[in-house]
Amino acid sequence: MAASTILRAAFGYLFLVLIVRVAGRRPGRQLTPFEFVLIFYLGGLTLTGMVGTETSLTNAICQILTIALCHYALAFLRFRSDAVARVLDGVPLILMEGQGWRKTTMSQMRIEDDDVMNVAREQGIRDLSGIRMAVLETFGAINVTPKANENRD
Amino acid sequence: MTQQPSTSPVDDSVPKVGGEVAVGENLPFQRRWWMFERFIWGFFLVLIVCDLLGLFGQGWLAKARATVPDGALRVDYERIERASTPSTLTLHFGPTAIQNGRVQVYISDSIVKGLGAQRISPQPAISAIGDKGISYTFAATHSPAEVDIQLQPSGVGPHAFRIETPHEPPIAASIFVMP
Repeated sequence: MAASTILRAAFGYLFLVLIVRVAGRRPGRQLTPFEFVLIFYLGGLTLTGMVGTETSLTNAICQILTIALCHYALAFLRFRSDAVARVLDGVPLILMEGQGWRKTTMSQMRIEDDDVMNVAREQGIRDLSGIRMAVLETFGAINVTPKANENRD
Repeated sequence: MTQQPSTSPVDDSVPKVGGEVAVGENLPFQRRWWMFERFIWGFFLVLIVCDLLGLFGQGWLAKARATVPDGALRVDYERIERASTPSTLTLHFGPTAIQNGRVQVYISDSIVKGLGAQRISPQPAISAIGDKGISYTFAATHSPAEVDIQLQPSGVGPHAFRIETPHEPPIAASIFVMP
């Protein structure tokens, strides 16, 4: 039934957006949740229960169009509304600033000081005392701002 | 005349930390999101436990059995099925169901249509349609005697069915098909 295949495709897309968003950000330069969902979903579409027994080209095209439409709608809402953008992308989180580590943020995001130091070393900062601020970005990367008189190699 | 691209003043709306670095952190929102995450992980865990128990079919809670009072017919089935997923509905016939070397059983249309009966084993000697269902006649010697009906439902939702043998009260039950 055409309506059920369209609904399955839309549900599958939105469900994966939720899953990837809830699964959370991890340190490291990685795909954004949006990109991950698209690649994961489109790649696995033919092998999942979203297709069911309907393996026709018509079904595949209609489901891909449905996913594209859902993606466009979410991107539009994200652009128009800060609240939607926060829900879909999250917000940047400060991991370390002048006074010290943000312990709650670090534990909630399952990030250790070693993860921050790895990034700091890439920028030539020798130790933690050379870091002015460390921020976990919405796309999963950790950005380190060095102190003005930082300890650099 | 070349049209100039429209521009607007640069408005630094991202909140700064220590008046220096524009980060745009929103801790109140993030705290609410962490609460939501705790709830949703708990919800996912409940869903998985329900699935393991068979609340969504194919498990302990899904298995059901119905019997007529004198034991002439017993039906083992799953009260919760999954769409497009094979399962078996088994009919057990007691001694009183076997008469003159034959067993006769009536099953309602819903088992064939809504619940997608694919195959019946063993093959009946006679099939007769009518009364919103099908009557099958099997050659039988002694009890226990069993007939398996392979189901593969396509329609989502509840499907009531009825099965009966002659001179016995019918077994009426319902199977819910999950998407």
